[in-house]
Amino acid sequence: MDRLHDVTLARRTWAAIGGAGLVVLGALTWLIWSAAMDGRLLRTDPGALPQHPTLMSYAHERGAPVFQARCAACHGRDGRGDPARGAPNLTDADWLYGAGEIADLETIIAHGIRAGAPRTLAFAEMPAYAHPKPSRTEPIPPLSPADIRDMTEYVVWMSGRPADPAAVARAAPVFQTRGGCYDCHGRDGGGDSAIGAPRLTDAVWLYGGGRADIAHSLAEGRHGVSPAFAGRLTPVQIRETAVYVYGLSHPGRSASPR
Amino acid sequence: MSAWLNFREVYPRRALSLAAAGALIGLGVAGFGLFTAKGVSTFIVPAEDVATVNQQPISRLDYAAQLKAVYDVDPAAASPAQKRKVLSDMIREELFVQRAEELDVASVDPDVRAGMVNAIEQQAAADAITAQPTETQLRAWFDAHRAAYASEGSIAVRDLVFPPDRAPAALGALKAGQGADAVLARLGGKDTEAVKGEEFYFAARIHLGPAAFAAATATPTGGVATAPGGHVLLVKLNHPPAPFTYERARDQVLSDYRAAAAARLKDGNERFLRERANILIAPDLK
Repeated sequence: MDRLHDVTLARRTWAAIGGAGLVVLGALTWLIWSAAMDGRLLRTDPGALPQHPTLMSYAHERGAPVFQARCAACHGRDGRGDPARGAPNLTDADWLYGAGEIADLETIIAHGIRAGAPRTLAFAEMPAYAHPKPSRTEPIPPLSPADIRDMTEYVVWMSGRPADPAAVARAAPVFQTRGGCYDCHGRDGGGDSAIGAPRLTDAVWLYGGGRADIAHSLAEGRHGVSPAFAGRLTPVQIRETAVYVYGLSHPGRSASPR
Repeated sequence: MSAWLNFREVYPRRALSLAAAGALIGLGVAGFGLFTAKGVSTFIVPAEDVATVNQQPISRLDYAAQLKAVYDVDPAAASPAQKRKVLSDMIREELFVQRAEELDVASVDPDVRAGMVNAIEQQAAADAITAQPTETQLRAWFDAHRAAYASEGSIAVRDLVFPPDRAPAALGALKAGQGADAVLARLGGKDTEAVKGEEFYFAARIHLGPAAFAAATATPTGGVATAPGGHVLLVKLNHPPAPFTYERARDQVLSDYRAAAAARLKDGNERFLRERANILIAPDLK
């Protein structure tokens, strides 16, 4: 009887030791695997990442909670943005800065836009034309109330909607000369993604495309900010978040089929 | 039943083996943590960096940004020569920065000192900008600073100047509905043409001067006002500043809130530095 009891005890004890060993081994394996994946993810050129479905899937899964914790407050849980806050929609193909590639997104997440960080993107800022000094950095003169009304019509016209032709004719030379609009938005209003100047010829509006919204942007300026997360997130978290955001506008390219 | 399996009795060999296994696992975990922790001196370059110079990392992100800035290419598209050149330049920069630290360049070079001050201030600002205020905090800010969130007023006004003794007569005639040009001719006045068409208040203030501007903006559209110096002001249009709704002003509110938070952080940072520092001031400057 005693011998049977001893055997049972021995089996249970060894099973417990074996189970604990397996858990430790599993945890170690996971740590080593995850470190190896992080290493591969970071060492792979961001432009080449979409060709690595396993890495994309790994990064996408780990980027999602970071996005929800850090970015969703402005961009929304689904990344569709909010024109009331000037938070861009991340699910479309329209990008204010860069071309929406993982490298572009990584730069924005790390250094931010007008974030006060050393390498932040702050090349251009929409002037406030109804103020004595419209731009903090450029010597741009203010516009008159009539100029702003005309320019509103011009911008509406540029986006392909009906507008007052007389106002459009008056505003065109202002756009191309003293208003300085051409300098960022381009002579044709095509924008410049290198400096974050939006295209004015499409139907995508960061702050709303109604006449009142456009007039407000012209009069009061815009200076949207995206925080800089370098130093707040690890490099691998920044890349994982970039992959997640990339996936929002490239459905099917961020997660490998399982 | 072998001694290994009999847990009722102490078996030193089994105890030692289990202790050794535990120690090995512990060493493994510690080694993993030690050799993968950021900033640890190792013989391998961490995955997030392209090089380390005396344990100072050069990050891949900065390297990619530098490639883009110098050659306008991503790392994948860069040639080996371009990659080597950029990496070499970055290593050179790091070496020189480290040497500058050794030589304490900041103590003598005003440009370096200004750059360092700016960098610390920027760091404080970045902390404020990264923190996302709640809507309640933003609304509270908006409510406390409502006057700051209004459109700029606009005005269209004819500024007529008469000999001071004739200004009251001109005012009466204009209020009675007589034409401005006729009144000007009859009473010997002139149109200053100071304000051309509709202007924002800030421009009209410059063009009219403070007294005439105050009189004009206090007058509704279609009204007539006088100002010292024989000025008679025909206000053709007056749109006083209109307060913005919170929704319309939110963008500016967020920007101002963050700017104020950054300013507070900068002040706090400076206070902290002053409190912990040992500052001695010469008696003649106390």
